[in-house]
Formats: sequence, C-alpha cells, structure tokens
Amino acid sequence: MRDDPHVVALVTRASGGDQDAWYEIVDRYAPLVYTICTRYRLSKHDVEDVAQNVWLLLVEQLGKLREPAALPGWLATTTTRECLRVVTAANKAERLGTGLDDSVLFIDDAAIDEEILMAEQNAALRAAFAELPPRCQQLLSMLISDPPHSYAEIHARLGIPVGSIGPQRARCLERMRRSSAFTALAAGDARIDIQGGEPSA
Amino acid sequence: MVSQVRDSWDDERLLSALSEAIKARQAVPSWFIETGKNAFAWHNIDAELAQLTYDSNVDRREAAVMRSETASIRALTFTSAHLSLELEVTENSLLGQIIPPRAGTLEIHTRAGEISTTEVDEIGCFAVDPIPDSPFRLRCRAADGTDVLTGWVTI
Repeated sequence: MRDDPHVVALVTRASGGDQDAWYEIVDRYAPLVYTICTRYRLSKHDVEDVAQNVWLLLVEQLGKLREPAALPGWLATTTTRECLRVVTAANKAERLGTGLDDSVLFIDDAAIDEEILMAEQNAALRAAFAELPPRCQQLLSMLISDPPHSYAEIHARLGIPVGSIGPQRARCLERMRRSSAFTALAAGDARIDIQGGEPSA
Repeated sequence: MVSQVRDSWDDERLLSALSEAIKARQAVPSWFIETGKNAFAWHNIDAELAQLTYDSNVDRREAAVMRSETASIRALTFTSAHLSLELEVTENSLLGQIIPPRAGTLEIHTRAGEISTTEVDEIGCFAVDPIPDSPFRLRCRAADGTDVLTGWVTI
C-alpha cells in the first residue's frame, strides 16, 4: 500500500480526538466495509452488528495502528473476519446451510486486495469530484446519473448551451485529473508500473 | 483489474470510474454511516477491552457436553488480561460471574447510549434483568479498580 499522506493525517487527527477526522474516515471507508458485508448476504441486523464491531475495533486501535496508511487493508481484513464470525454463528446455531457457497467461508486475499484497490480509487475519485467547482459537479452529476440526462435536459436545467456541454465536460474532467487526490492516485500507479524500478518519492 | 495507469485514462474511462465511485457511496445506507460515526463515542475510554473467547452459538456441540446439566440457552466468555466475564443466558435472565471473583459494579451500555447498572457481589456474581433486547456491552468496574469493557453482545 502506498503511503497516502491524507489518510495518515486523518488517522493521526482522529486518534488525537478530532471527531471531524473520524467522520471523514467513516465516510471514506464505509463503502469498503459495506461492500464486503453485502458479499456475505447478511441480514440488516447482522450487518449492523458487523459494522458496530468493525468501527469500534478501529476506534480502539486508532492510536496503535503502526502504519496508518495500511488502514484500508486493516478494515477489509477485520470486516471479512467479522462477517465470517456472524455467518459461522448463524450456520452452527441453525444447523442449516445458509445457501452460501462454501467459497465465501475462505478469506480470498486476492479478492480483498482488489476490493481495497477499488475502495482507494473510489475514495480518491470522490475526493477529486468534491474539489470541483459546483458548476462542474452539477454537470458531471447529470452526465453520470442513471439513466443519463440528455444534453437538452442539461441545457434546460443548467442553462449551458448544448454546443458547450462537450467542451465543458472535457474541462471539468481535466480539472479532476489535476486535483491533488487524483494526482496522488496516479502517482501510485506510476510506481507500480515501473517494473523493478526505484519507487519515486 | 483496477491497477492500471490511471493517469492515461481518457474522458470516457474517467467518467465511468467516477460514476462507479459515486454509486458505491450512494449504495451505503445512512444508518450504516451513523453506526460508524457513533462509534467515536468510545474513543479514549480507559477500560481494558475483554475479547469474546467463547460463544456456545459458535460451538454448540462443545456447549452441549459442558453444560448439559444447566438450562442455559447460551453461554459466552469474555477475557481480558486481568479477568474473565462468564455469561449465561437462561430463559428470562442473564447471569454472570467475574473470575477471579471480586465485587464491584456492572454497567450495561446500549447502542443508544443508555447506561444502567447492577451490583456485583463478593463472589463476583451478577444478574442483568431484563435481558436487553438490543445489542449491549458490559463494563465491569471492580472495587479493586479493575475496569473492563466487553465487545457488543446480541442475545
């Protein structure tokens, strides 16, 4: 895992009692924890149980995390372990299969790694998006909504001439690429990409 | 795979990745986020943490052998460096004992932040009545100063 200075700072601040930093950690990583929970087809009650334990353990570990940058990995592993605990307890208590494939009862390291990479990418993209000016956020939101809005609707809603939507979209995306969050993400790729090369500073 | 050089993404790729990122965040229910935020209330609690080391629901066969003479529905053990908390759930109450035995006060904390207390007698026994119907955790403040907190329990 690369050292994300932003994550390191968040962990340090939260561990010193900064509630806003904690809220940001939760906001940033809740999708990672939630995605892992959904893979185990837990009831809402069990998901709540897992979430409670994972965040509580993290609150207690904050000051002890040796490498705050390893936080997403720690969260993914802890969530997986908590999900397995709940699934195992339910299986044994009911003496019934849950209909779950046996494969979910093993910790698949490759799948977890993929989940972590995806979570980091998503967090960086959301951070980059948040750095955009409101006009760009509105335009990109309309473009990625499901179903997507037509250029005519975008024109009606945002008042952008239809002919300007394409160029504005390109400018907004370019701004995203230049954001600190996206630059940090891409810098991590550059290091992975140079096989055998020295990691850049 | 995500591990590609994201610097070279074209507009389409970047926009679809952004769309995925925002959808992943929107898929998370607000109560889930709240659970995470509320956990911060436990920051800097001085109590020693007791881990769940035995749960009859997880190993029922062992429980049947060990506790067949009791009417226990479920048995749990929490262990910390200084003491263990043994819990036994019967039909209408939650009985517990602190080992090694010592007197003190037991706090029952709910997720909503409510705290109720019950006395722990000289041989370390206590009763929680009624059994909380939502998740709770127990904090044992022994007369000798030992302060131990369990993880969340759902009966």
